[in-house]
Parts: sequence; C-alpha cells; structure tokens
Amino acid sequence: MEIIRTEKLEKVYQDNSVPVHALKGIDLSISAGEFTVIAGPSGSGKTTLLNLIGALDKPTAGKVYLEGEDLSAKSKGQLANIRLNKIGFIFQAYNLIPVLTALENIEFTMMLRGIPEKERRRRALALMEELGIAELANKRPTEMSGGQQQRVAVARAIVNDPTIVLADEPTANLDSVTGSRLLDLMERMNREHNITFVFSSHDPKVIERGRRLLWLRDGLIEKEDVRDAAPSEG
Amino acid sequence: MLWKIAWRNLWRNKRRSVIILVSVVVGMVAMMLTDALYTGMIRQVLTNQVSLEVGHIQIHRKGFHDNPSIKLLIERPDEVEAVIRQHPEVLHHARRVLTYGILSSSYNSSGVNIVSVEPEAERQITLISKSIVQGRYLKGEAHEVLIGEGLARKLEVSLGDKVVAMASRLDGSIGSDVFRIVGIYRTFDSEHDKVTMYIPLETAQHMLGLGDAVSEFVLMVKDVRQVDAVRDSLRNQLPPIYETLSYRDVLPLLVYQSEAMAQWMMIYYVIIGIALVFGIVNTMLMAVFERMQEIGVLKAIGMPNRKVLAMILLESTILGLLGTVIGIGVGMLIYWPLSHSGLNLSVFSESLASFGVGAVIYPVMDLRILLSAGVSIPIVALVGAIYPAIKAVRFEPVEAMRYI
Ligand SMILES: Nc1ncnc2c1ncn2[C@@H]1O[C@H](COP(=O)(O)OP(=O)(O)O)[C@@H](O)[C@H]1O
Ligand SMILES: [Mg+2]
Repeated sequence: MEIIRTEKLEKVYQDNSVPVHALKGIDLSISAGEFTVIAGPSGSGKTTLLNLIGALDKPTAGKVYLEGEDLSAKSKGQLANIRLNKIGFIFQAYNLIPVLTALENIEFTMMLRGIPEKERRRRALALMEELGIAELANKRPTEMSGGQQQRVAVARAIVNDPTIVLADEPTANLDSVTGSRLLDLMERMNREHNITFVFSSHDPKVIERGRRLLWLRDGLIEKEDVRDAAPSEG
Repeated sequence: MLWKIAWRNLWRNKRRSVIILVSVVVGMVAMMLTDALYTGMIRQVLTNQVSLEVGHIQIHRKGFHDNPSIKLLIERPDEVEAVIRQHPEVLHHARRVLTYGILSSSYNSSGVNIVSVEPEAERQITLISKSIVQGRYLKGEAHEVLIGEGLARKLEVSLGDKVVAMASRLDGSIGSDVFRIVGIYRTFDSEHDKVTMYIPLETAQHMLGLGDAVSEFVLMVKDVRQVDAVRDSLRNQLPPIYETLSYRDVLPLLVYQSEAMAQWMMIYYVIIGIALVFGIVNTMLMAVFERMQEIGVLKAIGMPNRKVLAMILLESTILGLLGTVIGIGVGMLIYWPLSHSGLNLSVFSESLASFGVGAVIYPVMDLRILLSAGVSIPIVALVGAIYPAIKAVRFEPVEAMRYI
C-alpha cells in the first residue's frame, strides 16, 4: 500500500536572494513497511526532501501526497495535526525536550493527542521496556549518552503508531557501534511492528543497512537499488 | 504536563528568573505599603477628627450644620436626651454649646471657637481630657477654661493667668466673663489648638443667656459600621425640627478624600504595572529566543500553536503568581510590625499636624489592597508574555531547528 507519493517535487531556497535549487523534480513512492534510505552527499537535498515529506515545509512546485491526501492544500494547523498523528520524527541532534525526563518525552506527543495520563504512562513504559531503555525512564536528556537519547527519540517517534517514521541522519552524531545498534533497533521495529522507516545518510556503512536505497545527487534521484534481504535475517 | 514544562523552564535560567522575581516582589511590596500608608493616613485623619470634636453622630436644631448660629438651639434638650437614652446602639452622649468669640489677655486677643462641654460626659467622647500638657482638665467649676498650646502662645499667657472671653448673647447683646486658665492642652492638630477654648457647659449657658438650651448632642455608637443605621433610626424618632448627622455627613471632604485616594492608588498601580510589563516582556523574549530550536522541535513533532502560546503564557503567569505569593508574604512581614509601631514621620510632623494627622502614621492593609496587588501582578505577567508568545508561535519549525 502506497503511503507517500511525490510528483515533480521542487524546492528553491532564496539564499541572500540567490536562488538555490535544492530539489529539482523528485518523483517517488513509498509503501507501508518499507525500510528506505535516502543516500547522498552533504548538500544533495536529503533534509529538504524529508522536510517536505514530513509536512514541515512547503514545496516550491510539485506535490506530496500522504495516504492520498495532498499536503499542499493543508493549513499550518492541519499540517501540525498530521505531523502529530501520522508522522514520527527522529532528528540528527536527538532533540529531546531538555526539561522532561525520558518517560515524559515519550509521553509528550500522547499528551498532545489527549491520551489520558494513566494510559500514556502505561504505553510509554511498555515501549521503553521493549526497546530495552526502561532504566532511563527518570533521566533527563543531559544525564544520558547520545545513543541513549537517540533510543528515547526512537521511542518518541513510534509511540503513536505513526504511518511513517522519518529520520534525518539519525546516526550522524553517534559513533559507528552505537549507530549500528540504533539501526538494529529501527530494523527490529520495522520487522516486528511493520513500522515504515525512511532515513537519510551519507555514510556508506549506514546506507548499506537500508532495504531500498534512493540515491540523491544535486536535488535529483540518481538511481534506486533494492536489497533482497536484510543482513540480520542472514 | 504543560504546567510541568513551564515550571521547569522557569528554573533553567535561575538567575534571570530570580532577578525578574525580585523586581516583581519589590514593585508589589512598594505598591502594597504605599497604599497601606495612605489608607492609614486618611483613616487616621478621619478618626482624629471624629475623636477630636465630631463624634460619631451629631444632633442639632435643623440648619445648624450649615449655619452654626447661637440662635439655632435645641431648646428642650431633655426631650432629645430621652430619645437618645433609650436607643440601644448609642454608647455615650454629651451636650455642647458652640459659638465664636474673642479671648483676650493683658497682652493680646484672638478670635476663638468656644466649645462648652459637660466635663465628665465629654471625657467619653473626645480626646480633649487626655490631651492636657499643663494643669488639669475641667471639673465643672465656674470660670475655668482650657486653652490650646498655640492659643496660649498667641495670648502670651500661662497656667493660672486670667483671660476675658466675649461673645454674642442670644438676645444680641455682648456677653463676657473672666476665666482662669486651669489647663493647657495639645492635640495632633496644631491649627485646632490655636483657636479652640473649652469651658464648662453651665458657664456658657449663663454667659450667653441660653437657659437650659444647647447647640448639639454628640453621640458615640457601639459599632461604627452601623453609624448610618443608628443615625436614620434616631432621625425617625426625633421631631423634624432637629437634624441628625453622622460623621460622614459632617466630614464629607474627608470621606470623599478616602474614596478618591483609592482611585489615585489605581493610577499608581498602573504605572508600576507598566514598568513590570516591560521587565517581563524582556525576560520572556530572551527565554523564547534562547529556546528557538527547542520550540521548533516541539512544533515539528506536532505541538499546535495554541499550546505553544499557552506554554509561554503559563511560564510567565507562574512567575507572576510566585511573585504575588512572595510579595504578599514580604509585604505582610514588613507591614505587620509597622501597623503596631506606626511609621514615625516626625520630620514632616509640622505639615502633617496642620493636616490633622499625628507624626506617627499607622498603615492599614485592607482587602482592597491585597486584591489589587494580588490580581494585578499575575495579569501584568500574562500581558507581558503575550508578545514573546506570539513571537514563539511565528517560528517556522524548519527555520527554528536550523538554529543549532
Ligand atoms: N534554508 C535554506 N536556505 C538556503 N539554502 C538552503 C536552505 N536549506 C538548505 N539549503 C541548501 O539546499 C541544498 C540542499 O540542502 P539539504 O537539504 O540540507 O541537503 P542535505 O541534507 O543533503 O545536506 C544545499 O545546497 C543547502 O545549502
Ligand atoms: Mg541534511
């Protein structure tokens, strides 16, 4: 089932009134259950593409459809609501809320969705248990390592059962072992709960973990690869 | 959870929050104490006037208040006294004869208010018996007079000297009598002391040819809050040839002043409030811009604008509420001892004395003050956060997150 489709997606930034063509016409489709990596060097447009797919920004031209709905027709409030209910975000710099504990960070979007306190606590704790981060529950972000913070960020991104999880260079701030463990975790969630992940990277070791590879260069998809099986299955 | 976030955010920059909190508390305490001091001062002027001469309720022949002539008399005082005596809310009462005249010594003379009192009954009404600085209070003997310190100085007389008083008699001729100064008094009102002499009632009635008649009855009631009700019931029971007035009717200017004061204080509150608003705007703007990236993330993960707005407003309002609680606490801590000891303003006592206040002012903190301070500060904090909160709402998540 197709959940994301883009048509001739273009994005032009004005950098000191010099136009920068970050995306030059992207056509892609992402289906439920995919584990897709957007691969490309720095400046190729990965962040821009993920921002557009994630309803965080509006394209200069072209369209993004999320579950068949045209995002360009939505108001800012509607987009915020779509992000809250349908999209999970994992950022490069973890970006947990510093004044909240790990548990509260995971509960936060459930709170925004109006889920009662008891229920959200139960769900957050169960998920932390499953991700093996239960002992972090009462820690603030400053008291956790980068890898721990990013695991909490994964929990925050998937706790609402989003349609898609977008992760912009999620391992870029982690060492390779920690980064690899994080990818293990994402893979497991993809496999066991059929959560759709799209992540970006310029690191070959990370890129090779994707099952579908979209190669981005200078704002265009250069080529596409599909790997038959994930290494963890072999 | 928004409360929790707002509360914890408040303490991220402790120094900044403490500085703004201190300025809120200082502003608030200044407001409360100034207000309490003025309220106390106005009340003191009012109680002073009441206890110096006005009493709670006065009864005269109709028209006397507007035109205090010796001709407007209560000719049958016993008839009036009978009504007063049976009223359960009246605590004390006394008769007086009031007129104007000239008091002369061998050196000088001066226009005077001649207040003729029943010495024992008057003790219960006014402070004059307690204000003697030389000699003694009146005993009710013939030819004794009590004069103020200022008057004694003017006439260049001292205790035991003889003075001559002259005043119009009821029949239009001039009455006069010789008096011996048995006491010199001093009140908080130096103007009063320069022009007022006290003599026994009977002496005056004789000197002025009044027979039994008096100018007024002065009453003290049991509960001053009931003064208007007592006045009305006495008014209904007395024949219509009399007028019955409460101190509020007699001192309308002071009553008006105390009401106008409350309005002046509002202006003062507004001025301090505006100053605090700027402090809050500045603090909250810093707080918002410092957290730009974080606010971007909150919006990116789907926090709606109204909740971002609420979060910022809440943060500032909590600050305001905290300031209010501490401010009321500190204000009461300073107020409590002051309300007992009073504030000694003897530096200004000359001008205060001529205004009818003593040198020591006792501040009065009432519900109006606590409410004005307690409500205005949280509102100020809320108003001050509106602009910063709107700024936060305007952040575009993608732009804001680029600020790393
Ligand atoms: N807000 C912006 N203003 C101007 N230029 C931008 C902005 N964001 C991205 N760009 C430019 O767009 C291009 C693509 O950027 P980006 O999507 O961040 O690439 P990547 O994430 O692959 O490094 C780059 O040339 C970058 O400099
Ligand atoms: Mg990028």
